Formats: sequence, structure tokens, C-alpha cells
Amino acid sequence: MNAAHIHLLLNHFPTIGFAVGLGLFVVGLFGRSDELKKASLVIFFLTAAMTIATYVSGSDAHEALKDTPGVSAAMISAHEGAALVAFIFMQVTGFFSWIALWLLRRVSRLYNWNLAVVLVLSVVTFVLMARASTIGGEIRHPEIQSSAEAAASGADPAPTIASSWRLYVQSNSYVWPTCETVHFIGLSMLFAVVMTVDLRMLGIGKNFLSFAALYQLLPLGMLGFALNLITGIMFFVATPQQYVGGLFFLKMILVVAGAFNVLYFMLLDEPWTVGERDDAPITAKFVAASAIVIWVGVLFCGHMLPFLGNSF
Amino acid sequence: MMDFLLHIEQSGFCSWVRESDSLFAYSGVLLVHTIGMGVVVGIAACIDLRILGFAPALRLAGMEKFSPVLWVGFWMNAFTGVILTAIHATSKLANPDFYIKLIFIGLAIVTLQMIKTNVFRAPLVDKAPPSSKAKLLAVLSLIFWTGAITSGRLLAYVGPGSAGN
Repeated sequence: MNAAHIHLLLNHFPTIGFAVGLGLFVVGLFGRSDELKKASLVIFFLTAAMTIATYVSGSDAHEALKDTPGVSAAMISAHEGAALVAFIFMQVTGFFSWIALWLLRRVSRLYNWNLAVVLVLSVVTFVLMARASTIGGEIRHPEIQSSAEAAASGADPAPTIASSWRLYVQSNSYVWPTCETVHFIGLSMLFAVVMTVDLRMLGIGKNFLSFAALYQLLPLGMLGFALNLITGIMFFVATPQQYVGGLFFLKMILVVAGAFNVLYFMLLDEPWTVGERDDAPITAKFVAASAIVIWVGVLFCGHMLPFLGNSF
Repeated sequence: MMDFLLHIEQSGFCSWVRESDSLFAYSGVLLVHTIGMGVVVGIAACIDLRILGFAPALRLAGMEKFSPVLWVGFWMNAFTGVILTAIHATSKLANPDFYIKLIFIGLAIVTLQMIKTNVFRAPLVDKAPPSSKAKLLAVLSLIFWTGAITSGRLLAYVGPGSAGN
């Protein structure tokens, strides 16, 4: 198994996951089934998380394929641009799906507005993702290319959103340090939640803090994560060749694990039984401890890229 | 003075930290410094945002229990910070950005102590909403920590000892 294989394994999740999620969502909206709506929000959120790993594995696949005869640089570039647009929409959809899930535990009129936003975004994302997948498929399947596409595949790569961003970063030296700074601020916001929520589950401040109170903090962590995903993808798109190899991919796998981890606190009723003075159940302690390991692990992998990986 | 700094910088320990590939050398020291930053600023930011009205169900008396964790993070960073300064003593101490960072951290710690006396030690903590003085301190704290992160991160990019110079 090589890097291109990993991209092939992962690249069906975004389109198919979104098709399933969108189907359930529409049925849930028309059938007025809250359970189906909730299930589709979970699918959108987890698919968006897995798509992070899918997107970044594309750079490895590119490295593996670039010298292969018959593989068109123009096609890969077009796929990268289409994938980036679809990726952005998918992450925004995943973010709003998470917010909707968070609002489910609170009495809020925002919930229905949020569902409408998710519906519009998910339809747009699905169309964009299908487009990106099709162009990606054509890289190694000339039989599905139209004659115009076949002619274009021999040409020089056309500018895309990804290649334009790369040029912008190369010619503007302020961008990188600015993104690094924001990345560290986002890290602190995420750690704010990891430290308080998870350490409370493990016993710190338990006489004063109920889980219901801590739950109100979760959006701060999500906002921090969103800042870091935005700045992270800015780094990645600017210099994708730096982010190949196992260490960076491990970081992305840990991010996906972090997405699964937080769902324990959002979907299960068990943590909600933890009031002031209560000891958290053993499962909650285990999930809390693993959250700390996951996010410190993410920081470790990112930090070590220049030392153990091949960045910078 | 410069001779003295050079002497520190070229000591056996500092040279080892700077040049060794060991994970306990430069990369590990900087890793601990980054984790410590997340702990210190994370917990401080939670306290500040709570004072400003975010997550209102969170009791400030409970947030105070995280102070020891914050101070562990702080001393971790003071310790690793001294090492990181010593190994590049001549360039870091000549970089104005370094002093800006120290000033921000100093102001943030003073603000933290003032929050302790004005919020945690207030007789009506969690019974009355935080005073406007408390809210002002919380805003200042957020500004100072953001300033500390920004000037700290920019140490890698501006002035003597940075990538560009």
C-alpha cells in the first residue's frame, strides 16, 4: 500500500457520505423525524472530519503519481482546485452541523434556522464534491473523459483557487507569520476547552462544576478548531509538498479521532448525569483522558514536522 | 555583557540543546513551551470569557480550581523559556520583540493576580454578576495574552535571530 492507495481508500467517503447524509436529512425534514435529522447531522460532521484526511492525502498521491506516464499535470491541478472548493464548503457544512447538534441540547430558536443553513450548504457541497470526484477519477480513467477534457489534459495547468493562493503566499511574506500566529491562538482556544472540560471529568474543580455548565464552553473549542483548520489548510495549499509523509498524516488521523471523541459529550446522555460534586462515570473519564492524549498528540505531530518530518 | 551572553550561548549545555537531534533537545524544549502556552492561555481565556458572560452556568469558584494547573503551565514555560533564551542569548536579547513579549506576559500575570483579588476573592462570587472592573480586567487579560502569543510567535520571523536574518 502506498500514498496513492490511501487517497483512493479515503476518497469515496466525502461523496458517498454526503449522499447518504443528504438523503436522510431530506427524509428527516419532510417526515419530521428528529432522530433522522440528528443522524444526518452526525454524518455530515463526521464526513467533514474524514474529508480532512482525504484532502491532505491528495498531496501524497500527487507525489506518487507525478512522474507516471499518461498522468496529466493539468488534470491533477484541475482536480486539486475543484477539491479545494468542495472541501471548503464541506467544512463549513460540517461546522454548522456541529452547531446544530450542540443547539439540540439547548432550547433555542436558532436550531431551525441552522437546519435551513445546513440544508442549503449540504446540497451545494454535494454537487461540488461530485464534480471534484469526477475530475479526480478522470486522472486515471481516460475512458470517462469527454473529447474536450482529453484535449485539455495535455495543456499547461490552468490557474485554480489553489494555485492562485500558492502564488499569493509566495509573493506576500506577511501571510505565513500571520497564519502561524492565528494557528497558535486557535490552539489556545482549543486547549481552553480540552483542559477545563476534560480535567473536570477527571476530577479537578468537581465540587463546583456540572457537565451541563461545561457543555456551554464547547463552542469555544470548536471555534479554535475552525481557526486552526482555516489557517492549517492555508499552509497546506501554499506548500503541499511539505505535508507529505506519515507524521502529518498521523496528525490528521488524530484530528478525525478528536471529532469522534467530542461526539461522546454531544450525543450520549451519560455525561449529563454528572452534576456538581459528582464523580464522572468511568467511560467519561476514559473519553476525557483520551481527548487530552489526542489533542496533545495533534500538537506534538504538528510541532515535530520540521524536526522529524520533511517540512520547512 | 556581550561576552557573557556569548559565553552562555556557547556553553556545553546550550550547544547540545541547540544542535542535538535528540527529542529532549531543542525540539522537545520548544514542544513543552508550546503545550505550556496552550495550558496557561487556555485556562486564563476560559476564566476571562466566563467573567465576560460566556458560558454563564460555569461557576467561577470552580474555575479557580484550575489555577494550580495554570501555574504548572506557567512554570513549565518559565523554565523552558529560560533555556530557549539562553541558547540564542546574543540574538534574542538584542531583539526588541523579545522584550515586547516579556512585557505582555508580565502585564497578563499582574492582571491574573488582580482577577484573583477582585473576582475569586469577592464576597459575592457566583452570587452577583461580575463587576465592570472585573470585566475590564478580563478584556485586558485577553488582550495581553493575545499580545504575548503574537509577539512570541513573531520571534521566529522578525529581528535578530529570526529566519529572515
